[in-house]
Amino acid sequence: MSRFRGANNEGVLVLVLVVLVIGMSLANPAFFSVSTLFAVLRSSIVPLVLALGVLIVIISGGIDVSFAAIAVFAAYSTVLLTATDPLGLGIVGAVLCALAIGALLGLVNGVVISRFRLPTLIVTLGTQGIFRGVLLTYVGAAYVANLPGPLAALSTVDIVETTVGGRRVSLTAMVVAPVLLCLLVAWVLRRTMFGRAVYAIGGDPEAARRAGFRVARTQMVVYVVVGMMAAAGGLIFMIMGRSASPQDLVGGELDIIAAVVLGGASIFGGRGSVLGTALGVLLVQVINNSLILAGVPSAWQRTAVGLLLIVGVGVQALAARRSATTVHAHDEEGVPA
Amino acid sequence: MSTSQRTAPGTAGRPDGPGGATGGPGGVGGLVSRLQVDRRLGRMAVLLVVAFSFFAVLDPRVFLSPINLQNIMVASPEIGVLAVAMMLAMLTGGIDLSLVAIANLSAISMSMAFSALAASDPALAEQSAPLLVLLGASVGLLCGAVNGVLVSRVGITPILATLGSMQVFNGLAIVWTGGSVLYGSPAVLTAVGQSTVAGVPVLFLVFLLVAAAVAVVVNRTPVGLKIQLQGANPVAARYSGVDSRSVLTRTYLLTGLLGGIAGVLFLTRNPTASADYGASYVLLVIVIAVLGGTNPNGGFATVAGVVLATLTLQIVASGFTAIRLSSYEYAIAQGVILVAVMVSDTVRWRGRRRGRPPRTDADSATEAAVVT
Repeated sequence: MSRFRGANNEGVLVLVLVVLVIGMSLANPAFFSVSTLFAVLRSSIVPLVLALGVLIVIISGGIDVSFAAIAVFAAYSTVLLTATDPLGLGIVGAVLCALAIGALLGLVNGVVISRFRLPTLIVTLGTQGIFRGVLLTYVGAAYVANLPGPLAALSTVDIVETTVGGRRVSLTAMVVAPVLLCLLVAWVLRRTMFGRAVYAIGGDPEAARRAGFRVARTQMVVYVVVGMMAAAGGLIFMIMGRSASPQDLVGGELDIIAAVVLGGASIFGGRGSVLGTALGVLLVQVINNSLILAGVPSAWQRTAVGLLLIVGVGVQALAARRSATTVHAHDEEGVPA
Repeated sequence: MSTSQRTAPGTAGRPDGPGGATGGPGGVGGLVSRLQVDRRLGRMAVLLVVAFSFFAVLDPRVFLSPINLQNIMVASPEIGVLAVAMMLAMLTGGIDLSLVAIANLSAISMSMAFSALAASDPALAEQSAPLLVLLGASVGLLCGAVNGVLVSRVGITPILATLGSMQVFNGLAIVWTGGSVLYGSPAVLTAVGQSTVAGVPVLFLVFLLVAAAVAVVVNRTPVGLKIQLQGANPVAARYSGVDSRSVLTRTYLLTGLLGGIAGVLFLTRNPTASADYGASYVLLVIVIAVLGGTNPNGGFATVAGVVLATLTLQIVASGFTAIRLSSYEYAIAQGVILVAVMVSDTVRWRGRRRGRPPRTDADSATEAAVVT
């Protein structure tokens, strides 16, 4: 049983997902279809890419609310650059350009946080305002209705195409990106020294320092990686939307953080997994899709995700409290009065 | 609440931890923290004067006009009350992300109730202003109770509990209003919102009154002392017999109530209410609280500092408008000010401790020895 539950309750998430899918399929047979599957997958792509960055920073014991601002900054600037194209950027060039901008902005966060050891929430709140302000003041504030050639071409590539009941259903090639990134991040977290360092400083920075991890440097790299991941997410978002606006994505930060926390990552750091995060993102998207199919007005989505978050972390908190009380009782037995 | 629950790793301990050194407001440690708070207050006052004179010199005709000065005072209260509430949550080492959602829900309930009454009996609706204000405050109190239960009874970290409740409150507001902007509030309220006493807007006086009341609660009542102890050092607080559950419940009830009052102020200033009003306030309010000398890790804050910070940022905002900079440039300024102030805090403390290596427990032990 405990093996099924997994280290971060992944098993429970799978169970909830399966129950939800079965329930919805019974209630509305239209739910159990390829088109729903594709719709859920499609809507999960961008949140999942962004969530992977958030996962890394949360495991390291921090939090980043500036990633949406970074995502828009990097992607929108890249679109503008590719449109005028002074450097002759191809698709590869555009992607690299976005990643570089993301890394640079992440570095700003990383330097401030690791150099001065400031609370990550407050710092990223501050830089979020700076990034957004700089983007809208100095880069551009106009809506771009048509993406430049190479990016637009990418948006029409599909990897799967089938016909369901006479209607053509397709899945965008963009879905490959989150899958690859999931595998990459999972490998980095589980198999590399950097991954161990992220878990270690998230668990206890002081212990990590004494064990020989370079805490400040790891933290800096974490924020750079988050910046790059955000840039990738932003670019994918704009490619899939076939347009670019500097107002995109902003305001959705907390939904992503909620999905990561639902996926079993501890907000105090040191705990979390890629599988859990992917399941958390899927769960939120499945619920959003179910609400629509069940005829619930989309206005309820926010409430539903909020309730889901409260129930999810509430159950964990109660469980933690119960186990803490048990340990405490043992302590008192051991200590002579 | 256990230590592991509130110490967020990675934030690497608070730079100034007088609670860790001696605990309690008395003694030498208390004196040191007192000076620290006073210095932050002094810095904030200096910043306020600098910002004011800067814009006054730059464009005196627009900036020093009575209308502009009144506008600053009319715009400050709704943000200021929210910032004072944020300060309270931070004082316990928590945070309340749901404040703006609470304020909107309170304003929406008032507007909805007014419209419902006005549909059947317009005269009665106009007279119901005091009851509506009471309604707005109780909605805030109710939302605060939800947060309080989640944080103190269920034991969810404040940042997650209020993140979730923010989504719920905001979602309910969207569902309730259908996403549209509501119009309608008693004429009396609007009249109060526009009236002045000796040139000072009534709204501003209300803000000062609320701030003073919170200051009295924090500094002069047993609950206030417990809130400070809880934030400074939860373990020490528990061993001193502080019931953290009841302290936290009361804190979030109070922040909820203040959120409700902010909602009343929303509606008084402008007779409209909507679910997405003031979305950018969440950031702004945290910025103000931290600028005002609130330690985000808990234990130390002054209401006066928060009031000064509120005024300073309003002055910067209206100054930016006066010299025709955009709201985006104001966002940049906010972020820069926030990061700069926090960095300057750390740098000063580091200089004092002569560039010591990353903080360790041994360090705090020596500090404690030095201090006492």
